[in-house]
Amino acid sequence: MTNYTSKIIGNAVSGIRSQQAMIANVGNNIANVNTPGYSRRTVNLESRAGAANGTGLNIGNGVQVGSIQRNVDQYLERQTRDVAAEAKSAETVSSFLERVDHLFSLNTEQQTVGNSLTSFFVAANDLSLNPASIELRQALLEKGEDLVGSISNTYNELANLQDEAGERIDAEISTVNSITTQIAGLNARIAGQEVSGGGANDEKDKRALLLKQLSEKISFSTIENSDGSISVALENGFTLVSGSTARNLSTTTTPSFGSGTLPQSLSGGVLSYIVYDYSNGAGTQQVDFTNFLKDQNGTIGGLLKVRGYVDPALATPSAFQADGHLVEIASRIEAITRTLLTSVNQTYLGPDRSAITAGHQPSSGDLNGAVPSTYGLFDFTFGGVKDTDVDGFPDDYGTHNLGNYSSLLTMAFTDPRRVAAARDATPLLATPSFAPGDGRNIAAIAGLRSQSLTFTAGTFSLTGTFDEAYQETVTTVSNKQSRADLDQSVSEAKLVSIENQREAVSGVSLEEEFTSLIGFQKSFEASARMVRTAQELLDTILQLI
Amino acid sequence: MTTRIPQSYAARLMLGQVIKNRADVNKYSQEISTGLKVQNPGETRDAGTISQFQEMLGRIEGYSKRITSSTSMLTFQDDLLAQSTDIIARAKEVAAQASNDSNGPTIRSQMAAEVFQLRDQMVTIANTTYQGRYIFGGTDDDDPPYDAATYTAPAIGAASQRYVFDAEAGTDVQKNVQVTDDLSLTVTTQGNTLFDTTIQALERLGRSLEGYQTTLAAGVPTGAGVAYTFPTDFSLQSADIRAAMDQLDVGRQQQIMPERVSIGARIKRLETAESLLKLNKTSAEDVLAQMQNADVVESASNLTQAQTAFEASLQVTLRALNLSILDYI
Repeated sequence: MTNYTSKIIGNAVSGIRSQQAMIANVGNNIANVNTPGYSRRTVNLESRAGAANGTGLNIGNGVQVGSIQRNVDQYLERQTRDVAAEAKSAETVSSFLERVDHLFSLNTEQQTVGNSLTSFFVAANDLSLNPASIELRQALLEKGEDLVGSISNTYNELANLQDEAGERIDAEISTVNSITTQIAGLNARIAGQEVSGGGANDEKDKRALLLKQLSEKISFSTIENSDGSISVALENGFTLVSGSTARNLSTTTTPSFGSGTLPQSLSGGVLSYIVYDYSNGAGTQQVDFTNFLKDQNGTIGGLLKVRGYVDPALATPSAFQADGHLVEIASRIEAITRTLLTSVNQTYLGPDRSAITAGHQPSSGDLNGAVPSTYGLFDFTFGGVKDTDVDGFPDDYGTHNLGNYSSLLTMAFTDPRRVAAARDATPLLATPSFAPGDGRNIAAIAGLRSQSLTFTAGTFSLTGTFDEAYQETVTTVSNKQSRADLDQSVSEAKLVSIENQREAVSGVSLEEEFTSLIGFQKSFEASARMVRTAQELLDTILQLI
Repeated sequence: MTTRIPQSYAARLMLGQVIKNRADVNKYSQEISTGLKVQNPGETRDAGTISQFQEMLGRIEGYSKRITSSTSMLTFQDDLLAQSTDIIARAKEVAAQASNDSNGPTIRSQMAAEVFQLRDQMVTIANTTYQGRYIFGGTDDDDPPYDAATYTAPAIGAASQRYVFDAEAGTDVQKNVQVTDDLSLTVTTQGNTLFDTTIQALERLGRSLEGYQTTLAAGVPTGAGVAYTFPTDFSLQSADIRAAMDQLDVGRQQQIMPERVSIGARIKRLETAESLLKLNKTSAEDVLAQMQNADVVESASNLTQAQTAFEASLQVTLRALNLSILDYI
């Protein structure tokens, strides 16, 4: 015979307890409304199983908390991570290029390589009309100093940005390592709790947040294992986290694979490698991931795209053989520098005075009657022999074994009288003589502006005028910046939309929670009322006695 | 199914709008304050073209400056040559008067002083400086092109003075100016091709009047020459005076006048080049303005719109985020 009264009380109490759990869950959701990475929880209730009574009638045994569920959509989580990686990469590239942009300002009030070039050639042309004028000579030298200054400033700024990208790569790699170590730790705890039957919802939330942070640094894929742990692998298959073990990435300039000549940076340093150690504790066996990560997303991918990478297999990797946005722009500046040092200096020397005497005999001269030296107009700071083949002509770049010439570029002299504006007035005599009013040589320098010359550095090569070389540089900067801006805005729009979708599933809505709260409160009250009803029933029965 | 809109979602959405509108306000304010729509290459697809036109304007500015100085240099030379024709005219008057056989050697020698003064004026013109440089010295412009020398007879006085063009290195090289990309122009002329004949004619005239022969009688004088013996040489003196007159005409017609015509033509070419440059400049400025300059009226109206949108988004955000179910339960 069934005791219905006790059943009424039992079921009512189960209701009270379950509604309390629901209310407690609402409380937890509300408390975490602003917690990053928190996923809304819902309590899943289920009716309590119980045996049928003797008559075969089953009234039921009340309610119990079945599980507490995190509201997450795995697909959306993964997509959020992918898009976050894309957005971070684009943002990194764009933020660096934005700092390059102002170096090539189109505001004519700012001194750039472009308007310094124009001013220099205009000053040369001015001087050709009145070559004896000390003021005009001074003006030419000042414009030359401006040009040299803006070239080395622009180049050094690019080199500094490259160094900064390198330093940030180091920092990001150590952040990646710290995140993967934390994920491995959480994996261990989740696996432990899953085995003992407890849902490790908080740990999973924390891990999801870490995965999202990791995705902002680097691209990866995840596999969820049966014990609840998550393995993190790079797109090339190498694992960063496997169960409770994390494997570190590191940056180094002394890799175990033997790199040959180290790739150079714009500032004359070396570009570090990002390596992965795949040995199992026995020695160090590193593999180069730099090139692979460059094509990936995340901050590290973005930084590598900016910084660039040289294939260590290249015989003599100069700083300009690296790819990377900064290197591409710096190569163009370097190419302009090299043409100033070679073609312009060569023209400045004038034609060879004597075909019989070995070497190039300059046929230009200054107000003191002296002929210019090999690097007569534009020079570079270097302690060694500048004209290695002693032919009287500027050497090909590379023979001095210098990383770059742009940061070393100087004007050859500061005395305005030393501008060799004149050409030899007595070409048939043994010694040259120069008329003070002769501006033919400086007119030839001014004429170089419209001449087609060759500009090369690293993989960059262009045949055209100085203006065309500079315009090509500006166009390159402009295209890179517009492209980066576009990438950034597209990926950010994608990120906002995907994060909103994720929020729609996992975020806490106060309206929803409070509406549920009212419902749960009413259910709680109803269950409590049932206890009272049961008590009244008992009282009625007792009064019969 | 209606999408759930959790708190964080709503706040982010609103914040995104506010930030975007704020950025618009900044953008248009900057456009108005700088007058430029495009400041950096990343802000336009036409960066290369803008840079090209800016370079072109820089070049045009240099060319205009040089056209101005070349024109003034040529005009100055033209003025000098005009003065020299006046001198020749006066010298011819004196010579015409003196060549009359009714004037004897004494009267003739009194006329010589004026002729020598005219010659000195002519030399002064040939040795004129422009901005501190001897304009008729070619590229050797740091010393006077005409140097003083002497005749063997007489030993003293104006008639013993002789002027020769110095042939130092560089006098034969003329100054060229790259006026525009396609036009290069000579702005000076070697002094001896302009003044030699005239100065020699004046010297010969003066010396004849003074009573001295000049060797060679025609062509470039060598600095030698003896005194006439009167009355034997009276007719020779008259012939020499007439020859000098003819030589003055040659100097004027074959050297000075053609140069004046040539200078006029060069000034004309400079004027044409200048007007072309102005056209180029205007069109380059127009293109640049279209690509780079902000239309202030448009920017201002955009700014007003952006401000309104910004304020509206702030208001909406305030209201929407203030809505709370807590106020109703």
